[in-house]
Amino acid sequence: MKYGFFPGCSYKGAAGYKESTEAVSQLLGIELVEIKDWNCCGATSYWSTQSLEAYVLPARIMALAEKQEFSEIVNVCNACYSTLRKAHEKLTQDSDLKQKVNLALAEEGLTYSGNLKIRHFMEVIVNDLKADDIKKHIKKDLSGLVVAPYYGCQLNRPWADIDDAYYPVLMDRLIEIVGAKPLKNYSAKTECCGAAHMVAHKDFCIPLNNRIIKDAVSKGAQSICTLCPLCQLNVDSSQQGLGLPKMPVIFFTQLMGLAFGFSEKDLMLNKLLTPFKMAV
Amino acid sequence: MMADLVLRDRFFKKYHGQEIENCIQCGTCTGSCPLAPYMDYGPRQLFAMVREGDMTEALNANTMWFCVSCYNCVVKCPRGISITDHMYSLKKMAAEIGIKPPKMLHLYQSFNAPVEKHGRLTDVAAMAGYSLRHPGAAFRNMPLGVKLAAKKRLEFKPRPVDNITGFKKVMEKAKEIERLS
Ligand code: SF4
Ligand code: SF4
Ligand code: SF4
Ligand code: SF4
Repeated sequence: MKYGFFPGCSYKGAAGYKESTEAVSQLLGIELVEIKDWNCCGATSYWSTQSLEAYVLPARIMALAEKQEFSEIVNVCNACYSTLRKAHEKLTQDSDLKQKVNLALAEEGLTYSGNLKIRHFMEVIVNDLKADDIKKHIKKDLSGLVVAPYYGCQLNRPWADIDDAYYPVLMDRLIEIVGAKPLKNYSAKTECCGAAHMVAHKDFCIPLNNRIIKDAVSKGAQSICTLCPLCQLNVDSSQQGLGLPKMPVIFFTQLMGLAFGFSEKDLMLNKLLTPFKMAV
Repeated sequence: MMADLVLRDRFFKKYHGQEIENCIQCGTCTGSCPLAPYMDYGPRQLFAMVREGDMTEALNANTMWFCVSCYNCVVKCPRGISITDHMYSLKKMAAEIGIKPPKMLHLYQSFNAPVEKHGRLTDVAAMAGYSLRHPGAAFRNMPLGVKLAAKKRLEFKPRPVDNITGFKKVMEKAKEIERLS
């Protein structure tokens, strides 16, 4: 299976996300081919400040993908996923806007036609593979590990089509498939972490993260599992001074890697601010 | 005020804000907004002010700058109003009329500048730009920076897009089209 891959700016600096994504996708036979020449999608910062450029940035990525003959773009960041999808949907509905965007892209000989699908890697794994195709690679028993599935906001909101807007279950399923235990009744699973506001308004973001962590701790999770570099960074880095036990915040690809028998070093689990040790 | 009505008209037409006329003032948005406690006015109240034409007050509120794009409100709004998008528009309009720049505007500018230059972003580039204006924030975020650096997770060198000349031409053209429209 081959997909166009959009890494986004925060993928490489994220704790072991790249290493674990590569390890897991290779083993599962999912070919993630990086879209050549990609640019930053702009995200909330551009939506908040620029009218046309906010569409041109994601459209350029999609136009490149089309030119490189991909029919699906796989994202590993909630914000990238949301930005591309939002631009894609608006541009398909608004032909005037699409024309303007294409006029700009023409400067580089690119065209966005809209013939492609925007996806997230986690959902690709659960929806495009059979559970048995994943299970057959399991080498390590994770049945003692209770994992809180933290989705953040932008994977299922506002769309609510691949999963529920407030209580999604796809990652819960994935955790179960690889043999660990998804935390039941994790009500903070789609609560917001505050995103980039953490930089300028740490004071009001800490209580948001407190709720995400406390709900996981008090219901008995040993780790929180995420699917977005920014969610991971916020929930991982805001634990100082909360007075709660430290909770490792890992990527779903690292959890899968553990089950598949990769070492903690291969998966770069040492790069997390709160390190993850299997002997939890 | 006259100027207020011109601004409202601009919000309704250029920024497609007219749909807030459909708002029934139920307050579901404010009730589901995680940041409402910190806002001068919740989204419901902000829309009421805009509808009444009190644009100066609305554009000087901190409401939209505290919106984190979590889309809680959009999913629940019984009138299908794209609340988050209107928050973006009101931020753009507030910047246009030259309000006293809130911290978030500085953060966005620090984010956009390296993107314009290199086509991609490094956290370090964005943080450096922001810290020039808010040294206090740099100081508060220092422990995190040090920890990330110790874990070799900070990228100092920008990685420009391959065809940076093409990228810049596209963005230049977008600016030109935007100016004309
Ligand atoms: S979401 Fe953020 S990190 Fe991802 S590409 Fe977009 S701007 Fe860059
Ligand atoms: S939880 Fe935070 S980083 Fe994740 S999608 Fe929501 S706002 Fe973005
Ligand atoms: S939820 Fe929708 S209808 Fe209700 S107050 Fe908010 S914007 Fe208006
Ligand atoms: S999208 Fe913005 S306004 Fe709506 S609930 Fe989230 S933070 Fe509040």
